[in-house]
Amino acid sequence: MYQPMLFLHWKQIRVVLIPFVIAAFGLPLLSVQGLGTLGGAVALEPLQALQAAQGWLAAYPLLAAAIGITLALSAWNWDHQLNHVYALSLPISRREYAMAKMGAGAVLALVPVGAFWVGALVASAAVHLPAGLHAYPNGLALRFLLAVMVSYATMFALAAGTIRTTLIVLSAVLLYFTVGGAAQSYLGLFFPFFQHTNVVGDTLTFLGRLGPFAVFTGSWMLIDV
Amino acid sequence: MNNALEVDGLDWRAGGFFQLRDLRLRVPRGSIYGFLGPNGSGKTTTIRMFMGMMKPDRGRIRVLDMDVPRDMPRILARVGYVPERPHVYPALTVGEQMRYHASFFRKWDAGWAQEMMRRLELEPDRRISRMSKGETGKLLILLALSQRPDMLVLDEPTDGLDPVVRREVLTAVLDYVGETSATVFISSHLVHELERICDWVGVLDRGRLVAELPMNQFKSGIKRIKVSGAPRIPVDPPFTILSRQQANGAGTETWIVRGWQDPMRQYFDGVGLDLRDVVDLDLEEGFVELLRSSRPGTPRRS
Repeated sequence: MYQPMLFLHWKQIRVVLIPFVIAAFGLPLLSVQGLGTLGGAVALEPLQALQAAQGWLAAYPLLAAAIGITLALSAWNWDHQLNHVYALSLPISRREYAMAKMGAGAVLALVPVGAFWVGALVASAAVHLPAGLHAYPNGLALRFLLAVMVSYATMFALAAGTIRTTLIVLSAVLLYFTVGGAAQSYLGLFFPFFQHTNVVGDTLTFLGRLGPFAVFTGSWMLIDV
Repeated sequence: MNNALEVDGLDWRAGGFFQLRDLRLRVPRGSIYGFLGPNGSGKTTTIRMFMGMMKPDRGRIRVLDMDVPRDMPRILARVGYVPERPHVYPALTVGEQMRYHASFFRKWDAGWAQEMMRRLELEPDRRISRMSKGETGKLLILLALSQRPDMLVLDEPTDGLDPVVRREVLTAVLDYVGETSATVFISSHLVHELERICDWVGVLDRGRLVAELPMNQFKSGIKRIKVSGAPRIPVDPPFTILSRQQANGAGTETWIVRGWQDPMRQYFDGVGLDLRDVVDLDLEEGFVELLRSSRPGTPRRS
């Protein structure tokens, strides 16, 4: 049962996965480009090198989130189109079906994550780092994997319901941050998670406090001290 | 237990417009049960209830001696289902869909599936999204039959198919039943189609079951009769009068009656009425009269 489900998901996602694999492989290489020609000697000071690498900080979690969300949406896409009639006519419990489907997506997530890891290893090996700086390709790849899995699992759970349910949940979250932020700013009312009184800042605070989501907000440095 | 499907006191309500009311069904094991009803009468909703896809507000459903929804995976392992609209993945090929489907069913008969594919002229490499409605219909039947079910649930399986494909599909079902004695529950609004193959019939209208009986009784028991000198209220007729209309000629009426048997002619002598004519109705006419008479507001005196 699991193998055909993996095949089914692969058949759905394979074309979409190609640009993600290319991006995941290329991103670590791009992020070390500022350190000089790949493989060449680098004359940058450690601080300059760190600043150059930081330019790509935001791209890592965004790419991880995009991969996770795309995988999750594609997992349920065909079932949604068929109103889940086929899935519900199969002789397994809904829990088993969802778990097998989720497992298939998780395995497929390893493809871009693997590309990212290889890209990080190649990038780390290709640059000459100033004294005092180190490359962390394995740690960054692990963080990337965790971020992909967190976004995948979250969106998988949301998308498992009807489109209506998903929209209600997402709208409720958005409403909380916009109305709550406004209420805090203008009325002085207290709402948990509001510190910055702007949606992006509050969302990051919110994510940072929710355990697994903190993976998106921490350090994403391939090159660090 | 002798029933493959038992439904008791099934209630379901969607908003203020549609509902199933106190539905009771008995589908004898080994029968081919035709579930008749006009469009929108609740046939698909009823099927989705006993396939565990929708939850009733009230009522009890047992399929193959197992409870819905508690035993759903075990039930679905023994039930072949062809829904109203194709439910297979359009981006897969026939062969891929068959392999995917087979992986869920322990009793999947790969040899039978290959034979069916050849017989129904389906190509394994053909993408489902590029198949005609008829070809998709044949694939759905192939999938349902190849899992060797004890019960087949077919929701308007031939709707929109051309006569050749329709015959192929029904022949495949009948061959399977002939070989395995499986129970078939087939819903349709195509009365003539069910007339040929079913041995039991249930008629659903506006969410209510208005008749459930063996097909031969249904066919032979509904008649159009002409009666002279009919009183306003007939005295204790041994049959059910579905409708009455004035016929040409003074005091002559046309009655559509249900539960008719030939010895009942004597009833008319006993109450002093003149029975002029008894005409057989075909299933479609009987079906229409049954629906007409069962709807609220229809004049019905008996």
